Amino acid sequence: MVLATSQDFQTPDSTVTFTADQWVDRLISGQPLLTENPHNVMEVVEILAAYGRVLGDYSKNLLYIANHQFLVLFPIFKYMNGDRSPQKLLRHGLHQRINYEFAEYCMKAMLWHGGGGMDAYLDTPEFVAGARRAIEAKIAGNPIMQGVDRLFSEFLIEQVRMSCYYSNLGQFWTIMHRLFMDLEQAYRDKKITKIIEVVNFVKDGLVANAAVPITYSVTIKGEIYDILPASQGLTFLVDAAIPYVEAVFFRSLPFMGTLSYNAQARMVPQEQDKFVYGALFADPLPAGGGGIPPTLLTQDMLHYLGEDLLAYYRTFGRGEHDLRVKMVVSFQKSMFCVTNGAIFGLAPADPEAARAHYRAWVDRLLTGRLMDVQD
Amino acid sequence: MLGPLVWLPMVGVGLFFLPGLDGRRLRHVALAIAGLGFLWSLVVALQFNGQTAALQFVQNLDWLAPLGLNYRLGVDGLSMPLVVMTGLLMLVAIYCTEPEVDRPRLYYIMVMLIYTGVIGAFLSQNLLLFFLFYELELIPLYLLIGIWGGPRRNYAATKFVIYTALSGVLILAAFLGVVLLGGARSFDYDGQMASGLSMTAQLVLLGGILIGFGIKVPLFPFHTWLPDAHVEASTPVSILLAGVLLKLGTYGLLRFGLGLFPEAWAAIAPFLASWAVVSVLFGTFSAIAQKDMKKMVAYSSIGHMGFVLLAAAAATPISYLGTIFQMVAHGLISGLLFVLVGVVYKKTKTRDIDTLKGLLNPERGLPVIGSLMILAVMASAGMPGMMGFISEFLIFRGSFERFPIQTLLCMVGTGLTAVYFLLLVNKTFFGRLPEAFTNLPEVRWSERAPGFVLAVLIVIFGLQPNWMARWSEATAVDAVKSVALVRPAMAQLPGDQVSVYSN
Repeated sequence: MVLATSQDFQTPDSTVTFTADQWVDRLISGQPLLTENPHNVMEVVEILAAYGRVLGDYSKNLLYIANHQFLVLFPIFKYMNGDRSPQKLLRHGLHQRINYEFAEYCMKAMLWHGGGGMDAYLDTPEFVAGARRAIEAKIAGNPIMQGVDRLFSEFLIEQVRMSCYYSNLGQFWTIMHRLFMDLEQAYRDKKITKIIEVVNFVKDGLVANAAVPITYSVTIKGEIYDILPASQGLTFLVDAAIPYVEAVFFRSLPFMGTLSYNAQARMVPQEQDKFVYGALFADPLPAGGGGIPPTLLTQDMLHYLGEDLLAYYRTFGRGEHDLRVKMVVSFQKSMFCVTNGAIFGLAPADPEAARAHYRAWVDRLLTGRLMDVQD
Repeated sequence: MLGPLVWLPMVGVGLFFLPGLDGRRLRHVALAIAGLGFLWSLVVALQFNGQTAALQFVQNLDWLAPLGLNYRLGVDGLSMPLVVMTGLLMLVAIYCTEPEVDRPRLYYIMVMLIYTGVIGAFLSQNLLLFFLFYELELIPLYLLIGIWGGPRRNYAATKFVIYTALSGVLILAAFLGVVLLGGARSFDYDGQMASGLSMTAQLVLLGGILIGFGIKVPLFPFHTWLPDAHVEASTPVSILLAGVLLKLGTYGLLRFGLGLFPEAWAAIAPFLASWAVVSVLFGTFSAIAQKDMKKMVAYSSIGHMGFVLLAAAAATPISYLGTIFQMVAHGLISGLLFVLVGVVYKKTKTRDIDTLKGLLNPERGLPVIGSLMILAVMASAGMPGMMGFISEFLIFRGSFERFPIQTLLCMVGTGLTAVYFLLLVNKTFFGRLPEAFTNLPEVRWSERAPGFVLAVLIVIFGLQPNWMARWSEATAVDAVKSVALVRPAMAQLPGDQVSVYSN
C-alpha cells in the first residue's frame, strides 16, 4: 500500500546545529533526537518495518541454534533452521537467504562486552553447575566430545555461555520484531505521524515488555535442563535490551570495511568501554562492501523494503544503485529513535537526576552520528 | 582487399557533409565507418595466411613513377595485427567521444584522416608512400590536441608538431639517402635496397631512422612531447595516441631500421639494447614520481615501448615476435588505461592521485571502473594470464640470450611497473571515499562497455596467444634471418636458429 508519494518527502537542507545543552533541553521538554519532518517519519517507520521482519528471521534462527544446535561441535547446518532439503541447500548456496551471520555478529558483540544480570550470572558457580549437568547429558556416549571436554574443561562451558547469548538475543529480538510490526501497523492506521510518536511508541513497548523474563533451557534426550532458570529473575529490559544497546549500538567490534585496524598501533582502544564501532557510529559509506555487517544487514532488509521508502530513495543520489548506503543512514535514524525511546524509558522522575541522565546520554551520542543524520 | 581498409575512412569524410547531421548523428556515422573498417580488417585477417612471411594481398599501381612513388600496399605478419588493432582502437576512440563534442564535423574528419594515415602507413610498401601516410596524421592530431584539448593544449600541440615534424624530416632524409645512395630505381620497399651501402652510410642513415622513429615511439631523450600531449588530449585522442600512433614509431624501427639495415643494426645492437634499458628505467622511474594519472600512464608507455627496442636489438625470432605482441598488448592495455582514466576524470573532474581516494566504494564510487583498472594494471605489470605477460615473456626470453644484462635491467623495469601502478590503485581506489566524492555521478554501462571489450581481449590473448602468434610467426623468423646472417660467427647463438612454434 502506497501511503504517500516520494514528492511528499523532499529532504530539507540540514540546519541542525544544537549544542549539548540544547539537546538536553530538547529531551527534557520531550522533543526527539531526530528532527521532526514527514519524510523522517516515513523513513524511520519503513526501515523499522523492514528491520522488524529481518529481526523475525534472525530471532527464529538464534533460538533454533540455542535450542537445537546446543553443543554441536560442527554446526554446519545451523542456518537451515532444521530444513535440510536439497532446495533449501541450493537456495543457501546461491545466497538466496538471510544473512544470519549478522545476528551472530551482534550476539558475539554482546558476549564480548557483557553487561546486565545475565553476564554476571554466567560467571557464577550455579550457572556452571547447571551448564555442567547439561553438558554431561549431551556428551554422554560421545567419546569425541568427552575427550574434548576432558582436554579443555572450560571449552564446553564457554560454548554454553555463548548459547545463552544466542537465546538472550533471540528472545530480545522476538519482542522487538513484534514491536516494530505493531509500529508499522500504527503508521498505516495513521496513528503515528510524528517522530516523537515513534519514539514514544518504542518507549511504551520497551516499558511494557520490561519485565518479560529471559530464561533458557535445553531438552536433551527428553529431559529439560535449565541453563538460565526463571528463578534468576533475568528480564527483557535490564538483562537484554540495555546490554544490547550498549554492545551493538555503541561499542560493537572494529570490523573490516575500508579501514584495517591495527590494535598494536593503538588504533583500537585498550579498554572495551571506549569502543565506538556500534550502529550509532558506523560510517554508512562502506556499506555494500563484501562481508561487513552493514552490508549483511542491508542485504537482508532489502528483501522487505517498502515501496514508499524505495520510491523515496529513487529520488536522489544514484537511485537504486546506492540503496545500501541510504538504508544505513535511514537505519541510523531509526536506531537514534529506538535509543531515544530507551533514554525516555529509563529517565528518572527527579528533574535534576533526569537532566544528568540526559546529559550523560547526549555526551555519548554527540560523539556518534547524531548530527550527521539530521536533516 | 587492402584498399578499402585505407580509403573507407575517406568515404566517411564525404558522408560527414550530408545535410542534417548533428553531432550525435555524425558520431553514429563515424562509428559505422569505423565499425565497417574493423570488420573489413577482420575479413582480411581471416584470409591472411600466417604460414608465409611473404607480403599478401599486394596492390601495385604506378602513380608518380618518375619520382619512384608507387601506390604499393601489402600486409605481412608484422602489420596484420597492427591493422586489426588500429581498427578496434579507432572504434573504441570514436565510441568514447562525447556525443556533444564541439565542432563535430571537423573532429570526426580529423579522426578519419588519422585512421587513413595510420592504416596506410602500416600497409605501404613504398617508402615515399609510407612517408605520405605517416605525415598525414600529423596535422589532424595537432588539431585534435590543439582544439579539443585541455588548458595547455596549444603548448602541447605545438610541442607535438615540432617533434613529429623533425621526426618526419629525419625519416624522409633517411629514405632519400637509401634510395639515392643505394641506386634504387624507385622507393618500393625491398629489404636489400640498402645492402650495397657502406657501413658508414648505413650507420648514418640508420641513425636518422632511429631518431626519427625514436621521437615517435618515443624513446628517451626524445619523449618530452608525449606526457604533455597526453595530459592535454581528450580521452579518445589519448587512446589513439598511445594505442595506435606510438606504434608507428616501433613499426618504423622494425620495418625500416631492422628491415633495411640489418648489418648496421647488428653492429649497434648492444648500444640499442642499452638505450632500451635507459628508456625503460627512465619511463618507469618517472611514472613512479607522477601525481597525474594520465601522466603516469604516459610515462609507463615510454617504459613499455623501451621493451620493443630491447627485443628489436636482440633480433631473435622469439624477441621479434615479442615486439609484435608488445605493440598489440600495449595498444590494448594503454587504450584500456586511458579509457578508465577518462571515466575517472569525467566523474571526479580530477586526475590527481593525491586527491582521489576510495573510488572502489561499491555504492558511491566507481567500483567497476576500479576493478577494470586493477585488471589493466595487472596486465601492464605483466601478470600471467594476461597479454602483457605473454609479450614481456617473449621479449625477455628472446633477448636474454643475446643481452642478458640489459634484459635483466629491463625486467627490473617491469617489476617497477607493478610499483607505480599499485601506488596508483592503492591511492586512488582504496581507502574511504572522501566527502567531496560521495555524490559522484554514476557510471553508465555504455561508459563501461569499451573497457570491458578491451579487458576481455587482454585476457583472451593472454590465455590463448597462439591466436595472434599464428599471424606473425613466419614473419618473425624471416625478419631476423638477415641480422643473424651478418652477425659475427662467434656471436651466433642457438636462438638464431630457433623457430617459434605454436600449435
